[in-house]
Amino acid sequence: MSASNLPSGIQIPPGLAVATPQPDILSNVKPRRGVIGFLRRYPTIAIGGTLLLIMLIIAVFAPLFWTVDPTALAPARRTREPSAMYWFGTDMLGRDVYSRVLYGARVSLLVGFSVAFFSSIVGLAIGLLSGFNRLADSIIMRIMDGMMSIPSILLAIALMALTRGSVQNVILAITIAEIPRVSRLVRGVVLSLREQPYVEAAVASGTPTISIIFKHILPNTLAPITVQATFICAAAMITEAILSFIGAGTPPIIPSWGNIMAEGRALWQVKPYIVFFPAIFLSITVLAVNLLGDGLRDAIDPRLAKKL
Amino acid sequence: MWAYIIRRILATIPVMAIVALFVFSLLYLSPGDPAAVIAGDQATPDDVERIRASLGLDRPYLVRFGAWTWDILRGDLGTSIFTNLPVSTMIQQRIEPTLSLMIVTLILAVTIAIPMGVVAAWKQGTTIDRCVMAFAVLGFSVPVFVVGYVLAYVFALELDWLPVQGYTPISNGFFPWMENLILPAVALGGVYIALIARITRASMLEVLSQDYVRTARAKGAAQPSILFVHALKNAAVPIVTIIGIGFAGLIGGAVVTESVFAIPGLGRLTVDAILRRDYPVIQGVILLFSFAYVLVNLLVDLSYTLFDPRIRY
Amino acid sequence: MSVSDRVGEPKLNQPRAEGDNRQILLEVDNLQTHFRTMDGVNRAVDGVSFHVRSGETLAVVGESGCGKSVTAMSILRLIPEPPGKMAGAIRFQGRDLLKLSDKEMRSIRGNEISMIFQEPMTSLNPVLTIGRQIGETLRLHQGMSKQQAEDRAVEMLRLVGIPEPGRRVREYPHQLSGGMRQRVMIAIALACNPKLLIADEPTTALDVTIQAQILDLMRDLKNTVGAAIVLITHDLGVVAEVAERVVVMYAGRKVEEAPVNELFRNPKHPYTQGLLGSVPKLGSSLTGETTRLVEIPGLVPSLKQKIPGCVFATRCPSVTDLCRAVAPALQEKAPNHIAACHYAPVEASVSGTVAA
Repeated sequence: MSASNLPSGIQIPPGLAVATPQPDILSNVKPRRGVIGFLRRYPTIAIGGTLLLIMLIIAVFAPLFWTVDPTALAPARRTREPSAMYWFGTDMLGRDVYSRVLYGARVSLLVGFSVAFFSSIVGLAIGLLSGFNRLADSIIMRIMDGMMSIPSILLAIALMALTRGSVQNVILAITIAEIPRVSRLVRGVVLSLREQPYVEAAVASGTPTISIIFKHILPNTLAPITVQATFICAAAMITEAILSFIGAGTPPIIPSWGNIMAEGRALWQVKPYIVFFPAIFLSITVLAVNLLGDGLRDAIDPRLAKKL
Repeated sequence: MWAYIIRRILATIPVMAIVALFVFSLLYLSPGDPAAVIAGDQATPDDVERIRASLGLDRPYLVRFGAWTWDILRGDLGTSIFTNLPVSTMIQQRIEPTLSLMIVTLILAVTIAIPMGVVAAWKQGTTIDRCVMAFAVLGFSVPVFVVGYVLAYVFALELDWLPVQGYTPISNGFFPWMENLILPAVALGGVYIALIARITRASMLEVLSQDYVRTARAKGAAQPSILFVHALKNAAVPIVTIIGIGFAGLIGGAVVTESVFAIPGLGRLTVDAILRRDYPVIQGVILLFSFAYVLVNLLVDLSYTLFDPRIRY
Repeated sequence: MSVSDRVGEPKLNQPRAEGDNRQILLEVDNLQTHFRTMDGVNRAVDGVSFHVRSGETLAVVGESGCGKSVTAMSILRLIPEPPGKMAGAIRFQGRDLLKLSDKEMRSIRGNEISMIFQEPMTSLNPVLTIGRQIGETLRLHQGMSKQQAEDRAVEMLRLVGIPEPGRRVREYPHQLSGGMRQRVMIAIALACNPKLLIADEPTTALDVTIQAQILDLMRDLKNTVGAAIVLITHDLGVVAEVAERVVVMYAGRKVEEAPVNELFRNPKHPYTQGLLGSVPKLGSSLTGETTRLVEIPGLVPSLKQKIPGCVFATRCPSVTDLCRAVAPALQEKAPNHIAACHYAPVEASVSGTVAA
């Protein structure tokens, strides 16, 4: 160390043994904070969020993106290849696939968000009840075990078989199929939280159950539920597409991605684009939600990564 | 050990009872009157009433549930409204393709996913790891029928390496059978591979940070031995658990995959039954699939003792 | 009061004069081990040098987080790279371990240099039998067959004092107590007759009575096997009992080194003085008391920033502005006794050699 680096007033006495500074063997890392740092740490949130935002804009403002009436039939112009006139071609009834795909985003996102929202709410209620009441727990968990033994797509198919195809019924069927998963998650969180010293102390000091739930339990369940909700949203969008694809989902008149693919199915070997355009949109949307969920999970709580 | 197995089998009975109750209620709540359907358009209300009585449809809910359960236990799953064949016969006719598809997919998925997850955990943070993780997210996100169509388009239509669709029974030879199953199995396996690879990676990462892995390294063990001898067995319980849980997705996916590849299996049977509102068939298939799912998870539970000597029953 | 009077092992505690003619087995030369983390480079070990002679017992002491364990892991190259990175040289029998291939390194680990870890409860693999875990090193390094390895494992278990070795060899770690497991760890470490044994806090996690037994066992085995030992500990009682020479580490640096008697009698560095000031009685771990270090007031500096002056400046009772600005070099303060402190007096017997 040279003398010029020293603070003023310090003299090195002659003969003093001074250590030579150690070299750097790793280049220094600059810790980043703020939004940039967050996005660098969780790039999946940035990518997923952006893609999802684009899809949302497409869904909400579909009429502004040079679309035509997605249900307008034009038998004379059916099965046209993609062109400057019909960007994604036309289907076997002459409907514009581009317009149908864009409007399809509405159905997919509506179903995804609704299922995520409703199954979280109901699952939260059931999970809380089950976590706090032993009797309710033994009954509820038996039923949940039974429901979870039926593969969720089959459960949704069975429920759809009971009703007429409509967007509301699809949402209801998928929600019912997803409730057991959320309930189990909430119940698990409640049970582990109840053993925390501060919750036990609150119970011991006679705090009413309701205020324990609102003060200690709910805030701690929100993070895992938010993450779970994104994964449910993604799963619901796929399930909706599958239901429509096999003819047990939304009525064919509604342009959902599953329906467009179902209609393109018969012709897919000769006119593959009818199937592929909605497939690409569906995949990108689900990917966006999944990336967002992954990022949220890592950002909120790394330990959660093992539970979900 | 045997006591545990028996206890565990008994514990599945209430679960199956709930499933049965649900499936039965499905028929009970189904719109339309089976008696009227069977009686046909020409029937008088008296005819319908007589058929209703002969079918036992006029009895109370729980009595009907009891009778129905009794029938199921004797192997009688009812009769299809559409074909008039016993549901059990229809299932028998369709089970081979579905079973083949699932077994091939299971083997394919496990043999691909576990090494993938292991390598990703070993090379954590590298490009290899990132590729595996990216594949896993893609696997979750691209629906099975999309993968199916892309594969069929590329390998069957464009390259003409494999048949586009259909099924050849295994009695016609292994290779023709396999030829038809490869594409559906890969399509169906996508999600499953993603799921297993991801859990394998997470579980391995957990294990690789344990002290005993450091001990193994300090002994001079080579990387493959550390990964597959010391770590994988410790990481196995979460992996087999997810294989069991993921089986549900496999069943759901099979329904769709069989539609895409025109495989005449139980999935197709389900889809056809839904389109025709053939409730006894829907019931039978759901019951069978749920039973298979419960059985697989029972086996998974019992397999834990193979991996961890600390688990004793 | 001299240490050797108490422990009854005078030979081990004799200070070695310059004329120690045993061969140098291991020489750590200016070792740096750094880790890249999210918020900066952690300079866990930053320029540590020491040597171990054949058959010698060297103790490395310091508080937790001072870089002792990282030093130990670095010697066997068990530091994951990335995020870690090592520089300097670690010469073992003349060969620089940092320059060896992975394969060459593996043939040294568990064979010529082996290691015992702090946590016997978690350091054994729960799903493999004891016999297999002991046998693994033998099969790896001595090419034994499965049967030979198992026979030798039984022999090793008997050597480390485990009753019914023929039955235990087929058991799993969860069927053994903590003390038993540490004996198994020792059996694994000694199976291939290593030349150097690195013991990282081998007794810390054990009950006091078991601690004494394990120390006795290590001492006996050292005499029969003849291995040199690097003993990493924060328990000065253990140091006094078994070590010949002591290296004191603080914040990733070596701050003092001396033969054990000299160090205990005449500590030069204020940090060592602080450590020793907190020890009630030497050799007390044999009598059933624990002698843990009492915290010295103040905070250990973050290793993620470069420290311009003396690393101990933030906690030193006699710190000056000079200490905060200028890092002291290691300097011989008495014969065979070096310390890094501007204010430690240099004794007359060596004052003529001050050069750096």
